[in-house]
Amino acid sequence: MRMDIRNLSFSYGSSKVLGNVTFSVRDGEFVGIMGPNGSGKTTLLRCMTRYLPADGGSIMVDARPLADMSPREVARVFAVVPQSSATDFPFKVEDIVMMGRIPHISSRLAGRAKKDSEAVHRAMERTNTLQFSDRPFTALSGGERQRVIIARALAQEPKVLLLDEPTVYLDVSGQFEVMDLIKRLNKEQSMTIIAVLHDINMAARYCDSIALLNQGRLEAYGPPNEVLTADAIQSVYGMDVSVRRDPFTHAVYVMRRPSSTSGRRHGTRVHVLCGGGTGGPLMRLLLDGGYSVSTGVLNVLDSDFENASDLRIPVLAEAPFAQISEGMHAENLRLVDESSVVVVAPFPVGPGNFRNLEAVEHALRSGKKVFLLAPPQGETIDFIGGKADEYIKRLISSGAIPVKDAQEMLDMISRQER
Amino acid sequence: MLTGDGLQARVRGGHRLAAWPRPLTIAVLGGVLFLSAFIALMVGTLGPIGPGEPEEISFSEAIDAIFTKAEYHWVFWNVRIPRVILAGLVGAALACSGTAMQAVFRNSMADPFVIGVSSGAAIGASVASLLGLSVAIGLFAPPMLAFVSAILAAFAVYMLGSVRGKVYVDSLLLSGVAVASFLGAMVSFMIYVASQQFHQLVFWLLGSLTLASWDIVEVLFFPIVAGAVVVFLYGRDLDALLLGEETAHNLGANPESLKKLMLFVAALMAAAAVAFVGVIGFVGLIIPHICRLIVGSNHRTLVPAATLSGAVFLIWADALARTVVAPTEMPVGIITAICGGPFFLYLLRRSSSGRGV
Ligand SMILES: Nc1ncnc2c1ncn2[C@@H]1O[C@H](COP(=O)(O)OP(=O)(O)O)[C@@H](O)[C@H]1O
Ligand SMILES: [Mg+2]
Repeated sequence: MRMDIRNLSFSYGSSKVLGNVTFSVRDGEFVGIMGPNGSGKTTLLRCMTRYLPADGGSIMVDARPLADMSPREVARVFAVVPQSSATDFPFKVEDIVMMGRIPHISSRLAGRAKKDSEAVHRAMERTNTLQFSDRPFTALSGGERQRVIIARALAQEPKVLLLDEPTVYLDVSGQFEVMDLIKRLNKEQSMTIIAVLHDINMAARYCDSIALLNQGRLEAYGPPNEVLTADAIQSVYGMDVSVRRDPFTHAVYVMRRPSSTSGRRHGTRVHVLCGGGTGGPLMRLLLDGGYSVSTGVLNVLDSDFENASDLRIPVLAEAPFAQISEGMHAENLRLVDESSVVVVAPFPVGPGNFRNLEAVEHALRSGKKVFLLAPPQGETIDFIGGKADEYIKRLISSGAIPVKDAQEMLDMISRQER
Repeated sequence: MLTGDGLQARVRGGHRLAAWPRPLTIAVLGGVLFLSAFIALMVGTLGPIGPGEPEEISFSEAIDAIFTKAEYHWVFWNVRIPRVILAGLVGAALACSGTAMQAVFRNSMADPFVIGVSSGAAIGASVASLLGLSVAIGLFAPPMLAFVSAILAAFAVYMLGSVRGKVYVDSLLLSGVAVASFLGAMVSFMIYVASQQFHQLVFWLLGSLTLASWDIVEVLFFPIVAGAVVVFLYGRDLDALLLGEETAHNLGANPESLKKLMLFVAALMAAAAVAFVGVIGFVGLIIPHICRLIVGSNHRTLVPAATLSGAVFLIWADALARTVVAPTEMPVGIITAICGGPFFLYLLRRSSSGRGV
């Protein structure tokens, strides 16, 4: 089965909701439709099933125009799992699944045939819903209901399964339960899936392709790592994110950056000395608290360097594994001078970054407030033969304030502000 | 006959769905129908046609009268039997129509009269009795006028409640209420004017099977049976419709034409029944509702079950109407309201208190 959507357009009265949407879906592909609320995702699905009549464009299923098919034929091509399926009417779960056979039962006089019962049984087996076959549908939990609705869709034996935010009313475990079920259908039955998904990371993890909609237009279509770029997400969702790769699954994932407009900026500059990931949460907290933050000196491959870039914080960095050079050290001292507070994360100290401790000394000499965060294990990770702790003790005796965690540090900075 | 969603949720919650297979359910109900009809034949007073006191006859006399040329043979065959059949037909029509309406409106508090059929028929009946049409034209003139005005009222409600040929059930509901109250006021006015025919008209408005005859049975039999068959044949589509119009579409049903067809058939059945026997309330509401609670919402079972149960219910209600104040009788509409109202309330209370147990 191959589906080609060409120049699909739709308007509600005079307001255009979809404009010239064009993309193709391969057999067995898992396509995610994404976009902000009101961007036309549900409308796109409804035009595909012909529930809404498109103004223009065409949909071809295996080179056959969808427009030529009867409603029952369309119902054998697409099965739909809507966002929510609430009914107050008493139906047995099995009755609900059996409804999936309606487009296959050719005569109104006919009862259910053996193949209908078999299709229902198979669908319920795959969705693990056989055990509540005789229960009233209204008595099931949200996740169970959604599985029953997916069973009904499978009983329909469609070529394409369409899902509209199938997990939106479910809790976290329900979400993964449903997504894993869909993925399994996709992999094991090579069922073509087109799903409107809300969660960008979920989409990146499960989909082969992503259709990104914005105000009824298809902004991008392709594999998640090509479509879900920070720029695209910025332009479509107006959200400042950083895009990374999951080290285990290689799926892209997206993290929201704290928005620079959130909270008041009170201009207090805080310079953070960190490394090895010790500074990430700290810098985020400080930004959220409204401080201007800078950091240095780091190495380019250090995870705190990535953290700082993600957070759009001014950062001084040396080449990977290089020692802090004279020039970079001077820059660091300048940033210390420009800030009113210096925070020292419990970063691993080695010969390469030893000079950051000298920068602390410089801060103390010029009368800056200096906070030292206690290392989680009680001792600084030390690659310079035990000199680091000794050095830190000396910093404390010259006025650096030890704090047990970031929260205490924040409290003390803000107390000092007043 | 519509209430808030909370109430409906309470009605529908906490029940158990019958595990009987469909053929058994229908066979049992069919048996009950025949038994009920037979018993209903036996009860009540029998009087000679014309002047004379009605009198009680015994069970064996009744059997004799049915099967031999005994004293009351003619009365049995021309009064009692058509009356029981008519009661069954009307009950079936109202219950089946109510089932279809509840599916179209996706609301188990809907009944056959939500789209103005009863008030439309009442207008027709009032005009007919005001003009004395039964004397001027013939005995069938008032029911015909009632039928036509019932269909016209339903059509008016339909036109007011749909936009560009699309049926919106919420607006349909509202226009039904509006049209019904408007026509109701007109009927009241006519009752006020027509003090001469007051008694006859009120009897019709309360619903009564006194005028039963083979002629009426002949007229009603085919349309009502055909209507019930059509509703049954679209049972699977109605199931899908209960899950919403989009789901119905996605399952290959055409919700727009389905709604139109069902409104048409349900209005026709209800109008035909009401035109001859007057407004008999509650049957079309409680019978589908109770059946839904017992057999579930699967229309391939629900439609025959409700249709048969409606027949049974009205046969018993009419038997009661004929016996409780013998030798005279009560309008059957009063019986259905008296039985139906409290029973319905009892169901409401029971299912809401039984929830979560
Ligand atoms: N029945 C309707 N009448 C008019 N406009 C509608 C209707 N349904 C949706 N819209 C509009 O169409 C646009 C797209 O809606 P939708 O497809 O539901 O978006 P999404 O599913 O992406 O959140 C929205 O701007 C919405 O306001
Ligand atoms: Mg949507």
